[in-house]
This record gives sequence, structure tokens and C-alpha cells, in this order.
Amino acid sequence: MRRLLENIKIAFQALFLNKMRSFLTMLGIIIGVGAVVAMISVGVGAKQSVVSSIQDIGSNLIIITPGNPEREEDVGLQLILGGQQPKLKSNDVQAIKREATLISGVAPIVYNSSAITYLNKSARTTICASSEDYLKLYNMDVEKGNFFKKSDVTNASNVAVIGKTTAKKLFGKIEPIGKIIRIDGKNFKVIGILEARGADMFGIDQDDIIIIPVTTALNKLYGLDSYNMIIAQSISDKDINAATEEIRSILRKHRNIKFGEKEDFMIQSQTQILDVISAVTGIFTVVIASIAGISLLVGGIGIMNIMLVSVTERTREIGIRKAIGAKNRDILVQFLVESTVLSVTGGILGILFAIFVSTILNTFTPLKTSITAQPVIIAIVFSTIIGLFFGIYPAMRAAKLNPIDALRYE
Amino acid sequence: METENIEKTSNDILIKTIGITKVYRVGDIRVNALRGIDLEIKKGAFVAIMGPSGSGKSTLMNILGCLDVPTSGQYFLNNIDISKLNDNQLANIRNEEIGFVFQTFNLLPRATVYDNVELPLIYSTKKIRDKKKKILDAIGSVGLTELIKHKPNEISGGEKQRVAIARALVNEPSVILADEPTGNLDSRTGEEIMAIFQRLNREGKTIILVTHELDIAKHTHKIIYLKDGIIYKHEEVKDQISAEEELKKMPRLEDSMIINSYI
Repeated sequence: MRRLLENIKIAFQALFLNKMRSFLTMLGIIIGVGAVVAMISVGVGAKQSVVSSIQDIGSNLIIITPGNPEREEDVGLQLILGGQQPKLKSNDVQAIKREATLISGVAPIVYNSSAITYLNKSARTTICASSEDYLKLYNMDVEKGNFFKKSDVTNASNVAVIGKTTAKKLFGKIEPIGKIIRIDGKNFKVIGILEARGADMFGIDQDDIIIIPVTTALNKLYGLDSYNMIIAQSISDKDINAATEEIRSILRKHRNIKFGEKEDFMIQSQTQILDVISAVTGIFTVVIASIAGISLLVGGIGIMNIMLVSVTERTREIGIRKAIGAKNRDILVQFLVESTVLSVTGGILGILFAIFVSTILNTFTPLKTSITAQPVIIAIVFSTIIGLFFGIYPAMRAAKLNPIDALRYE
Repeated sequence: METENIEKTSNDILIKTIGITKVYRVGDIRVNALRGIDLEIKKGAFVAIMGPSGSGKSTLMNILGCLDVPTSGQYFLNNIDISKLNDNQLANIRNEEIGFVFQTFNLLPRATVYDNVELPLIYSTKKIRDKKKKILDAIGSVGLTELIKHKPNEISGGEKQRVAIARALVNEPSVILADEPTGNLDSRTGEEIMAIFQRLNREGKTIILVTHELDIAKHTHKIIYLKDGIIYKHEEVKDQISAEEELKKMPRLEDSMIINSYI
């Protein structure tokens, strides 16, 4: 053990003596480990924010969208015969409401983008039209004022609940509640302000939004008769798959889809979406791992190269050590420790570099990064293995040197 | 009576070689570097091995120093048959029984005087007590206490050789092997080094000196002449040169003040 510490001391002395050379040699490992740990931190961060924003939306959600890319006619027809595409309408929502037993709530969603004005200020923002159940399904609340009620939906009232960013854009320091804004030229009364939610996984501000009753949107604003999607919530997370199947059969029956025929709608649960995301991140991880493998291989070859140079340069030193009583094993360990110190130092610097990059990304870009213990530990373990693997050949060459020849080496 | 005599002899003898030969192969050519060396060196002896270049004295030195093994013949050091040992055992013998002093000093350039002298202790398989005291004693005995933190490139050639001697002494070896120790030094510094060797020998150290200079060889008690791989003559030195006397005759240089103060 003391001998090992002695060897580590010798190795650090040798590395410090050739600072530039050691640094350049380590650079391969630094860049390799740094890039990989930084990329994994971006990947983990992205996954975490995707997962949390999906769970943020609310829990146990089932999302139904019109059309089904698996049905050939949908893909082609939607493009050519715009009007013929399958639609989700009010009676679909009513059917689910009426028949489903595993559902605690259901709401239609229509998204659009509209021009909004208040006095002389105007802006463009996302209009989300839904029913009074929207807040509950999406796990949201109003910060001030109220959300619209069932009667507002039934009566197609011109009321709006606005997000914080929109409020700031239109009103500045003026109190928005009770004011009249214009959406695509129609007057709406602001009745509430939503709690702030921040940016979503793609960096889009979720607070730049206006929520209005779905009936108002369809009948008075856009003249549409169908929804972009329907959101349903299962009564518990255990029931989500059963609830999904229940909705599927209700909609099939209701939409007269024959047995064996493909559906003209898509139905996905949050669990399925999360599964898809982890599959995607899995591929991402494999890609990163291959890049890591290649860069560490290159770094390792660099270490082997410089260790061979070092052994040649220090032939005489090896001769002296052997004459004085160093065994082959002592010399082997000395050079192995040196190459390992080189690669592990590179690995640690690479991790610090990755932490730095990840902090920069976190602070100055919308990307959310997260350094976890796992890639750090793997990086250190791998750089140790690299040091040992690529150091063994040079170290064996050093150990096998004949002391007489080594002492005579000029 | 006879057995007692043999035992007495074998206890007194530190080095005994029987018919040592060494054959090198250089391509297809066989070089007979040593052609049967029979040698006995007693404990406490101060012996010079002399010979022209190509006489085999370096080869003999390497074998006596356990850096190399003979092609045939036997070599006993402290009654251990060296010719039968493996690499690791040879390394242990070099570490514990032999102290090397080379013509080119062979210090580790990056290590301090202290670290250089410590080196044999690092590779020792024995547990060493009072390591620091041993190192400081060895450095003190060659008069370099003030320089322990210096690196080899910061000290003179004579000082380097004294560091090498301290390194050779630190493990208290049975024999010190000095290969042309004065070859790279001016005559006064060389004389100073010889003074140290003579003092060490007076203190009981066995010293084998390889040289091609008769003046240096005459500082020892016995000279073995080597030629073409065999010992062709050995003789006791009658008019032994005292290095201290020689130094007194030489003009005093500034740095010799230090050395005279501790001799």
C-alpha cells in the first residue's frame, strides 16, 4: 500500500514535469469523458423535463386525437380531401361521459392562434378552448379571479382566463381582471389569471396562453365543428390501461367502426407516451455510448503512445531502479500507475469540464441539464480501465528491460 | 582440525567464484567475455579489478553485482549460490547485499538528494525502522547534510558521486561495487572520493573497485589484473596510496575546505 502511494507520488511528479505533454495526452480523455458526461446530462435533463412536464399536465391522462396514421386512407385523404378527414365532435365527448365507468373527467381541446388586443396593445397568442374540467385534468389552478363554469360553456360566454405572460404583455401593471380584451375582433371579459407554469420541455412558455370556453371558440370565433383532441382522466393509475380500452370500445361502437376495421382515431395514455420517450432516450444513450467508446479509444491510444515515449526516455532511470533492487513487478506497477493516473486525471478533468458545460447550458439556454452520479462513476471506472489497458504494454516493455543495457542507454 | 579450518575460511569469505564463464552472442559470433574466473574476496577487503577495455572487467562486475548471471560456473555471495537465483531473488540480493557506485553517478535527475538516497529502502522487502534516520546518517557520512533538498543538477560532480555513495550505503550492503567511480571527476575530486572509500573500508566495508587507472587501483589493498576474460595476475598493494595524504599535497581548492573538515 505504501509502495502504491509512493508510485502515485512518482507518477504525479513525472506528469508535472511534462505539464504540456501530460495535458495534451489527457486532452483526448478530457474531451471524450467531458462530451459524454455533458451529453448524458443534457439527455437526462431532457428526459426529466419531458417526464415531469407530461406528469405536470395531470396524471393518468388519456389523449384521443382524430385520424390514425396506421389507416392508409387517413394519410392520403387528409392531404387531398381536407374536409373528409375523421373528426372528433361534441357527441364523442358526450358518449364517453355517458358510458365510461373508469373515467373521472373528460374535456375537449381546441388549439388556435389568434390576435389579441387590449386598448392599443396587441399580441399573438395561443388560444386553448376547453370545458370547465380543464383545470382539474391539467392539475392547474387560477392565481386570481375564477375559471369559467359549466354555465359559461353551455351559454358560450365571452369570458377568458389568461396566463401570466399574456397578462404582462397586454396589461403591464394594470389589473387585468374585469377588463375587456379583443380576440380576433370579439370582446372577451378577463375573469381569471392562471398560476405560472414556466417553460415546457421544448422551451415554449406555457404561460403565454388564453383559455376560453370551447363552445365560444367553435361557434363564435372560428366557426369549427370539431376538436383537436379529447382529454380523459382515469380514476386511478392502475385503471389507466383498462380505461383506455374502455374508451376505445365506446368510440368504436359510437363511430360505427366494424370489427377488424382500423380506428379513425388515436388513443394514447400517458404511460404509453412515457414508454415511447424512454425508448427514444434509450437509443440516444446507445449513440452517446458509441461516441464515448470511440473517443476513449482514441484517448487511450494517445496515452499508450506517450507512455511508450516515456519508457524510452526513462530507460536509464529504469536501469538505475533495477540495479538498486526494483523487481520487474515494481517497474510494471510504476508505469501502470502512471498511465492510470494520467487517464483518471483526464477523466476527472473531463467530468469537471462537463459540469461546467452543463451549468452554462442550464443558465444560458432553455435546455435543462442534470448531472447524475451514474455517468460520473462510469466515466471514472472507464478511464481507470483505459489507463490500465493502454498502459499495460508500455509498462511491460519497461519491466522487461535488461538492467545492464538500460544503465548503458544514452 | 581440518573442518574447523574450512568453516573459518567460509565464514571469512564474502565472494567466491568457481570457473565463471560468460558467453555473449552478437549475431552469429560468440564472444567469450569471461573464460573461467576463480576469485575469493574476504570480508572487509578493498580490492581493485584492473584491465584494459575488452578484458571482461565490466562483465565480471555485472555478474558480481548480480545484474547478470554467468553462462557457467558458480558464484557464492555470503555462501548463497547466486547462479541459481531467479530475477526477483537477484533483485532482492542487489537491494540488500550490494551497493553500486557508477562512473556516471546514475542518480535520478528529478529526485532530490534525500529521495535518491531513499531509493534502495523503497524497494526493500524488509520492514525498515527509523528510515529517515538511516537516510540522514548515510547522507551525513558523505558530508552532504546541507544539500538534502537539492536536485542532482544543482550540485557538483563530486557531490553527485558522494550522493551515489550514500545511496550505496543506506541499506548497509555486504559489498560496495564501484565501477570507475573517479572516471568522470577531476583528480582532486577523485582523490576526495577515494578518501571516502578508504575511510569506509577502515570502518569495515568490503569494497570492490573497477578501474583502468593504476593510480586509483593503488588506493586499495589488492589488485586483480584481468585480460581476455581471465585473471592473469593478482598482487597485494605494497605502497598503498593514502588519499588523505595525497589531498594534503594538492593545492587547496575552495570547495575542498568542506571535505577536509569531516574526513
